[in-house]
Amino acid sequence: MIHQKFIFSLKETLQNLWQFKGRNLFSLFIICLSFLIIGIFLSLSNNFQYIAKQIQKNLAIIAFLEEGISEQNINAIRIRLENSPYIEEVSYITSEQAKENFSEKFPELNNIVSNLEINPFPPSFEAIAKKNALSYEETIDFVNDLKNMPGIDDVQFNKDWLERIQAFSRLAKAVGFFLGGILVLASFFIISNIIKLNVLARKSEIEILRLTGATNFFIRTPFLIEGIILGFLGSAGSLLLLAIIIKLFPLYLGASLGTLTELISFRYLSLSQCLAVITGGSVIGFSGSYSSLARFLNI
Amino acid sequence: MVHVSVLLDFYSKSKTYIIEQSEKLILQLLKTAMIEVYNLWKQYQRPNWALSGISMKIEKGDFCFITGPSGSGKTTLLKILYREILPTQGQLLIDQRNILRIPDHKIYVLRRMMGIVFQDFRLLFHKKVFDNIAIVLRILGVPKKEIRRRVFYLLRMVNLHNKMWEYPKHLSYGEQQRVAIARAVVNNPKIILADEPTGNLDTELAYEIMNLFKRINKKGTTVLICTHDRELIRHFGEKIFFLYKGKILRRESL
Repeated sequence: MIHQKFIFSLKETLQNLWQFKGRNLFSLFIICLSFLIIGIFLSLSNNFQYIAKQIQKNLAIIAFLEEGISEQNINAIRIRLENSPYIEEVSYITSEQAKENFSEKFPELNNIVSNLEINPFPPSFEAIAKKNALSYEETIDFVNDLKNMPGIDDVQFNKDWLERIQAFSRLAKAVGFFLGGILVLASFFIISNIIKLNVLARKSEIEILRLTGATNFFIRTPFLIEGIILGFLGSAGSLLLLAIIIKLFPLYLGASLGTLTELISFRYLSLSQCLAVITGGSVIGFSGSYSSLARFLNI
Repeated sequence: MVHVSVLLDFYSKSKTYIIEQSEKLILQLLKTAMIEVYNLWKQYQRPNWALSGISMKIEKGDFCFITGPSGSGKTTLLKILYREILPTQGQLLIDQRNILRIPDHKIYVLRRMMGIVFQDFRLLFHKKVFDNIAIVLRILGVPKKEIRRRVFYLLRMVNLHNKMWEYPKHLSYGEQQRVAIARAVVNNPKIILADEPTGNLDTELAYEIMNLFKRINKKGTTVLICTHDRELIRHFGEKIFFLYKGKILRRESL
């Protein structure tokens, strides 16, 4: 019996969607646009997260040593680094080696370095962290531990970049949710009004249904399904558009932005994010429709 | 002393018997009443009263007419009976149930025991004849096969079986009226309320529709028709209420 009623409601819904296709398409477009905005920023945020992870994977820690450090201290630091479960590889760079490395990497600055009377490069230890061995918090703890060791002047690692990228990721997410939130709110009202128009257009039919013994639930169901379908299709459409944008965006940008291309490229949403977007769309559709029925149908 | 005790015994037995019998009689009377209206008043706008103190009783299986000139309150009374509007004052029992106490969200229970034929038919013009009738059964969740069987049977009864896949706008007034009647009786209601079901129809068609109501009535359905067609009333009327300016002027049982 419930199955029969549901099929009937579904048929009525599809009929309504087709009957008022113009305004339904308009609301679909708005929902699609709203979720696309959220999707784009989520995708950007995903990219930042990805870059941060990559940096974390190839985390290089450079420990600069004090001038005139004793052999004993150098050995102690080497042992500390080599015995650490987080470190893959350790190499000792003397001041001379550091100077040579610099001259190789930046030949145009060779003159300046050779004109200096003293060697400005301190000896150092370069350590490569094991892949996935360190989470962000663990890294900071490890670096702080190193800093406190005697004979170490400073410890550098690409922490700043990591922090910046993570901040970018959070910012992109926040902007996306803010802009998307406003648009989602707008699409909520648009769905609500479109359902209201549909109710108005079918007012006499609703009246007849009431007089022939239909329950409120029976009358409401097709409109609610209509809202859910609009929300679902709108959000699913936004995901499709996003996939197209992700495919076409690199082609459009080309290599003109150089290393920046990597930074502002989009990354596909994860399955859970896709599901969240689609569920969000359906919920917006349902609630928009429900609020309109509650206020307008008065049953 | 013996005589006194016998007398007392006889007295108590006869008292019990009388009470039992009266209760039976009351129950019987209550059972047979389908529509009971007590002192019903309705005012749309001051100072005019659309209905003023209407009281009436219609029994199960009755074939009744409410008649009177335009504006006498026929449609208002009918609308109150199927609770599209509420009375200003008064009580109303349908099948021994005070319908004024039914909450709005439960009103479908009342409507499902009624078949209503409207003056303007109120058909769904974007649905075919078959679907116009079947919708009542779909609301009740009747299986597809049963819906088809009952709708076919009714369409044959109203002689529209060859037009069931047409849209109502392609039918004549009389045919549309017959679709409306078929829709009203498809779920075997206890009561049929019809508001001017023969208005705008020629005499021959009006008689045809009245005969249809008679046939439905013979199956035990209570039928209440509002009309101002005196010819029809004279021909078909069994119980008639004459309404004038919101009051029942006269009752006749033929």
